[in-house]
Order: sequence, then structure tokens, then C-alpha cells
Amino acid sequence: MIEVHRVSKVYSVGPVKVPALREVSFRIAKGEFVVLTGASGAGKTTLLRLLYRDDLPSEGDIEVLGYDLVPMRRSQVAALRRSIGVVFQDAKLLPVRTVYENVAFVLRVLGAPRREITERVFDALRIVGMSSRAQAYPAQLSQGEAQRAALARAIVRRPPLLLADEPTGNLDESMAAEILEALKDIGSGGTTIVLATHQARLAAALKRRTVTLDAGHVVKDEG
Amino acid sequence: MVGFLVGEALRDLRRAGRVAVSAIVLITLSLAALGGFWLVSSNLDRAVARWRDRVRIVVYLKREPSSSDVAALVERVRATPGVAAVTFVGKAEALRGLKQVLGKDAGVVDQLPANPLPASLEVTPAAAAATPEGARELVARLAALPEADEVAGSVDWVEHLSHWQRLLTTIGLGVGAVLGFAAILTVTTATTLVLHARRHETEIMRLVGASEVTIRLPLLLQGMMQGLVGAVLALATLVLTYSLVAPRLEPLVNLTLGLSQLVFFTPLGVITLLGAGTLLGGLGGWLARAGREP
Ligand SMILES: Nc1ncnc2c1ncn2[C@@H]1O[C@H](COP(=O)(O)OP(=O)(O)OP(=O)(O)O)[C@@H](O)[C@H]1O
Ligand SMILES: [Mg+2]
Repeated sequence: MIEVHRVSKVYSVGPVKVPALREVSFRIAKGEFVVLTGASGAGKTTLLRLLYRDDLPSEGDIEVLGYDLVPMRRSQVAALRRSIGVVFQDAKLLPVRTVYENVAFVLRVLGAPRREITERVFDALRIVGMSSRAQAYPAQLSQGEAQRAALARAIVRRPPLLLADEPTGNLDESMAAEILEALKDIGSGGTTIVLATHQARLAAALKRRTVTLDAGHVVKDEG
Repeated sequence: MVGFLVGEALRDLRRAGRVAVSAIVLITLSLAALGGFWLVSSNLDRAVARWRDRVRIVVYLKREPSSSDVAALVERVRATPGVAAVTFVGKAEALRGLKQVLGKDAGVVDQLPANPLPASLEVTPAAAAATPEGARELVARLAALPEADEVAGSVDWVEHLSHWQRLLTTIGLGVGAVLGFAAILTVTTATTLVLHARRHETEIMRLVGASEVTIRLPLLLQGMMQGLVGAVLALATLVLTYSLVAPRLEPLVNLTLGLSQLVFFTPLGVITLLGAGTLLGGLGGWLARAGREP
């Protein structure tokens, strides 16, 4: 599913070189739920961005869902991303559209037929427990609800891979727990999940395989 | 999918708001100006064409030839270079013509002691001789005929008309081009605003793997919509102006230019106008997109 081989990433900020990942290697099998943890600045976001090909590694090889991510044409990048759901710390909902429209947007963009759209959107909203809020606008949602709507948007196409970067970062403990429950549900349906979080307690509570980064190195991979 | 793309484009137009409205107004103005000049010019063009084949040169004869000589004279003039057709008008016929023109005052003619009108030859110049120089040469050649007393006629004023028509076309194209350029810039500005307003959508679209076409087409479409709306408004303005002005102007134009009717655009003309608007708008949208990758 995912194979990361001796990947390094160095950001160039003017003349300054900022190493973010150093010789990172690991594999993730289909259906696994992997927690990516480490202190702030350890390189979690950088790693996830490489996985959905938002950026390129400075060195090393990455294979995701059978795609070799380094030499890739634009159309292939689009094809890869159609098989990956992504959620961020901020929900990134489109403000002038309802929850329903936000989730439907990604299906409409890809030209899905209308009947199928309605069905899939309500499926996704049900999984995250947001069916009753379908007609609400983002400004009317709590942060937890917004994040669940974003999660619904990420899974509405039933992607085989879901990447979540600090999805609970803005949430209090009980809301965070709701999101994690939803993620576990999605994972038990066979979706491969990579969840990045700097909240060590939360990572430990999940009791899943945990890859720990420190200053760009993988320092622990267990569970 | 088409519904989605058009829906997104309409949403963008609403977001560009007032700038989109000014872009539409500018497109309306530029196309109304272009179309207006085009209408005037094409009607003048018709007048010129009509007058070109109506030009007559009249050769007044010193005396009326005997009926046996007429055929030979007509034949000789017909053979002159630059002559397309010749008609002989005898003294009696000329008088009948005069009576017809005078209508109810025709009685005056009967008071005359003798017929004062000369016999004449009405000469239609060939197309080649219908230019001012050609006509002057022909007039000189006809004046050299021993039977000719006086030669009347020239095509100068038709040429003046034609000159005006060309001048108007040039002015129309100039004004239309300047306004059209301003319109494109405004559409570009409107589209740049749209690009900014759309950045969240664009980000999500890229994230979920939308094709480049899907990401970019709404931008092009909203530009084209601005253009099309502008063109429709320009057309409406022209139709309204035409229907108000044409009936009032036609008697005057009939008298001065001999056009009984002012024509409006042909269906092809209408399509061209609408197409030009859509193209202007699309170009504006495309320029904004090319200038700044979304
Ligand atoms: N676009 C960028 N340009 C330059 N440096 C960057 C960029 N993105 C990240 N970095 C640097 O790379 C390192 C890793 O950052 P990254 O965002 O991957 O960490 P993180 O583990 O996600 O941290 P956090 O828990 O705070 O989200 C940091 O030192 C950061 O400053
Ligand atoms: Mg991060």
C-alpha cells in the first residue's frame, strides 16, 4: 500500500537548508491503522504531504497505491489523489456552502451522477454522525462538527487510503474522542489510515501501530 | 458535469459582482459601437452599390437624327470603350417624360410654341468606367462625337459616398477596438477577483484530484458568460435603436440615397456579434488565468 524508502526532505529557505526528514523508511500494509507521532517540528506534516504528492522528496523513493511518486505526470497525480482522502487540523470547509454541498463538491468535481451523489453523501455523513447537520453552513458548526464534516468529505469517495494530519488538534478531549471513534470505524471498514498527531497521550490511547519521528528520524516503530 | 461547471461559473460571476457588471457594460458598449457603425456602413455600402449601377451619362444631341440614322448612331456610341448600354431618347419622348414629371402642371408644356427639349443618348457606363477617372475619360470621349452638343453626368458624388462609407467603417473599427480592449482588461480584472475568491475551491479541487479542465473551465466559462451577456445587451440596444430610428429615417434616406429601406443584421451578423462578445469575454478570462496560475 505504502512504501517509503530512505526518504529525506530538505527545505530551502533562501540560503538556509532546513532538514525535515532524514533517511525515513517504512511500509504500511493494506488496511493498517498507523499513528504517526512526534514533537512539533518532527516532520509529520512533511511526511504526509509527500504521501499525497503535495511535495517531492529531496532523496529516496515513495510508492503509494502502486504509484511511483517521484516521476509523475500531472494527470497521474490527479489519479493518485482520487484514491486518497485527506483531513487537516482546520476543516477547510467552503464557507458559502452547506455541509451537504461541501461533501457533494468532491463528487461533483469528478462528475459523479446526481443520484449516486445524494446516496454517497448521506452515507458519509452517517458514518461521522453528521446526517442531521447536512443543511447547516460551516459558520453554524462547532469545531468538532466541522472536523467531522471534513472527515465525511475525505471518505465520501470511499478511498482506500485516508491521511489525517492533526485532525483533533483544535478540539477538546470529548470532541477529539468522537473523531477518533469515527476514524476507527472507517479503519475497520478496510480503509488504510495514517493519522499524524503530536498528542502522545492520544496516540498511546489508540493502541495501534505507532511510528515516532524525532527531528526527521524514525526513532520508534512499534505496536 | 456540465451543470456543475456552469453552476460554478455562475457562482463566480456573482462573486466578482460589480467588476463583472462593469465588464459586461464595457462589452455592451464596445459591441454596440462596433455594431452601430457596422449597420450604418453596410447601409451606405448598399447605397453606393445601387448608385454605381444607376449612373447615367446623358449626351445631348445638336439635332434630332432622322429615324433611319438613329440605329447607326446608337451602334457607333455603343462601340465606344467603357460603354455598357445606350438608349436613344427622341425630342417627343423627352417631352412626354417632362409632362410625366410635372404631373398636374403638365398643361404648361402645351403652352410652348415648340418642343424646347433636345434629343439625347442615355449612356450606361461599363463597370470599368464607373470610377471617377473612368467616367471623366468616357465623358471626354462622348463629347468628341460630332453629333454631341453637351455631355452631362459624373460619378464623383458616388465616390464621395463610398469614401464616407470607408471612413465610417474605419472609425467604427477604431472605437470598437479601443472599447473592446478596455472590455478585455475589465474581464481580466473580474476574473482575477474570481481567482482569489475561488482559491479555497481550487485548493480542494486539486486535493481531491480534479482534472485541470474541471479546475480551469469555470474561469473560462464565467468570462465567456460576461461576454455573451454583454453581446446580448448590445444586440438588444441595437434592435431597439433600429426599430425607433429606422422608420423615421427611411423617408429621408429614400430621398437622398435612394434606399427605400434600412437593413438590420442578417442572422449571420447576429451570430457574429454574439460570437465576438463571447470571444472577448473568454479572452479576458483566459488572460487572467494565464497571468496567474490558480
Ligand atoms: N514549507 C516549508 N518551508 C520551510 N521549512 C518547512 C516547511 N514546512 C516545514 N518546514 C520545516 O520542516 C520541519 C518539519 O516540519 P513539519 O511541519 O513537517 O513538522 P510537524 O511534525 O508536522 O510539526 P507540528 O506538530 O507542529 O505540525 C520543521 O522544522 C519546519 O520548520
Ligand atoms: Mg504538522
